Amino acid sequence: MKKLKSAERLFLLIKKQLPITVPSLSKGKILNEMQRLVNDDPGSWLKAISLWKELLECDTKREKVSQRDANPLKRKVGENEIVIAKKLKVEEIQMVEESHREDQRDRLTEYYLEQGNAVTQTEALQEQGPQNDLVKTAGTENLEDLTFRVSCRCSGNIVKAFTAQEVGRVVGIALMRKFGWKANLRNPYLEIFMHLSDAYSVVGIPLFRVPLASRTYIQTAGLRSTIAWAMASIAEIKAGALVLDPMCGLGTILVEAAEEWPDVYYMGADVSDSQLLGACDNLKAAGLADKIDLLQGSVTELPLPSQSVDVIISDIPFGKKFKLGKDIKSILQEMERVLRVDGTMVLLLSEDHRRHLRDCRGSSILLTSQESPPEMKMLLNPDKRTGTSDKVSPSHKASSSQCPRRVLACGSLVPVECFKVSLGKTDAFICKYKKAHASGLSAAGCHEPGAQPEMATLQEFPSPQDSL
Amino acid sequence: MRSVRSFRFRPRELPSGNMKLLTHNLLSSHVRGVGTRGFPLRLQATEVRINPVEFNPDFVARMIPKVEWAALVQAADTLNLAEVPKEPTEGYEHDETFLRKMHHVLLEVDVLEGTLQCPESGRLFPISRGIPNMLLNDEETET
Repeated sequence: MKKLKSAERLFLLIKKQLPITVPSLSKGKILNEMQRLVNDDPGSWLKAISLWKELLECDTKREKVSQRDANPLKRKVGENEIVIAKKLKVEEIQMVEESHREDQRDRLTEYYLEQGNAVTQTEALQEQGPQNDLVKTAGTENLEDLTFRVSCRCSGNIVKAFTAQEVGRVVGIALMRKFGWKANLRNPYLEIFMHLSDAYSVVGIPLFRVPLASRTYIQTAGLRSTIAWAMASIAEIKAGALVLDPMCGLGTILVEAAEEWPDVYYMGADVSDSQLLGACDNLKAAGLADKIDLLQGSVTELPLPSQSVDVIISDIPFGKKFKLGKDIKSILQEMERVLRVDGTMVLLLSEDHRRHLRDCRGSSILLTSQESPPEMKMLLNPDKRTGTSDKVSPSHKASSSQCPRRVLACGSLVPVECFKVSLGKTDAFICKYKKAHASGLSAAGCHEPGAQPEMATLQEFPSPQDSL
Repeated sequence: MRSVRSFRFRPRELPSGNMKLLTHNLLSSHVRGVGTRGFPLRLQATEVRINPVEFNPDFVARMIPKVEWAALVQAADTLNLAEVPKEPTEGYEHDETFLRKMHHVLLEVDVLEGTLQCPESGRLFPISRGIPNMLLNDEETET
């Protein structure tokens, strides 16, 4: 489970219910509701906790026999959707017990990741019933001297009625009364997380003390590792590929990618000495110095021949340091130049960058009305699976009706997908592009009168790209 | 003022990076006006280290078609490496001897200190601590 690369935190679900409807109930009633969370179904609490204990034990066993499990778990990850970090800092991903695995570790239960979908949750909870009979609940007696702590997060309407601490306290007291546990705020054995929102009321136990996002193999973290891994995973990295991160910083993306896709040659470039030194450290710490080569260079002047790289993954720096406009354009041009035809490019863009790119495109193509909504869209609803985003921009189709040649002439980077992710305090977008054909091809005709060459964009008209 | 990096105080630590010949095979000069004539960069090394890397025949076989052979031969010569074949042999994918040789040349030779020279403009790019510095100053960049 520790191998799940895109998850921030994992929780073992105790309970998930429909939300407590605040407006209709009085304060007293709401308190009642919360207590019911505990009292109604003590069985599920106990089951969850004994499961959790098992996992802890298995974990220590696992340290000794680690290799065997690595592959099956990885396969499991491959089957699941990639979970993208959501808006909450503490991410809640519900885990439900699925089945028992038949091997020597027969008490180890398999888990799969789910998005917050109520229907599948209840199904899974039902599955849990029969399965749990197999789980030895012999540990129940020992649960009496547990120390615990309740951490609660409230969002939505309930915030008007209660603070998180109050809720935590109510539930804590209910738990003490029901199970006889002792509360220990400083160093509890068992931590219970609750999240009450307008969509659901969830209670769970965190599986690991440290968020999964903090990797064992990274020395100095730059970009959040989960995002880095997610970016690498949609970049279509194949064996024998050449992958470049032209603004690699501390090398986070390269490390995540190289850990997961080892039969690939990685290159990282950065302008800064200190960042590169940090990257070197990270590579060494992760043992990846032989798979990743670093060089010092500017992303606007990449020292690589045109069309030499299969995949580009990059975190475009946010913030005031990078002026919008010209810089973004020259960066993209250069990246587009070195990318092979049919290569993939995955970028992490800030809201500003993305808006700017979209606006530029809008003005240089005649068909503003048709193209704006669907072109690069898809703010992915965190509840949906990632596969459901739309494909290639319809603006291509739109423009073809006006000027058939233009579709090919306008730049070569085709937006494929775009996901909104949360970086904690801010939001950003992971945008994936594919290169359709060699840039700089001047298609005869189809220059829009009055189009300003400086407003070049991804879908730009062929400007003299480069003397290469 | 004596710099800390004098020989007497040089810490015996491993240098930071390691430029491999596979990377050299891709690097080209971006100096203004140079275009495609900025490749290949003439390699000169003052410090080289041979560093064993796990042999992965599949990976090497996949890299072979991407290699600019003349540039590789030239670089290997400069470093006095064992004879590198002028071109991939027929059926190289299954020729383990060949693949091992290429694996060694492409991935096991780390250039730690040296220079890379643009064949057209003569501009020298330094390699220090295994990292080539390809940054150009303002006059040299194409805009």
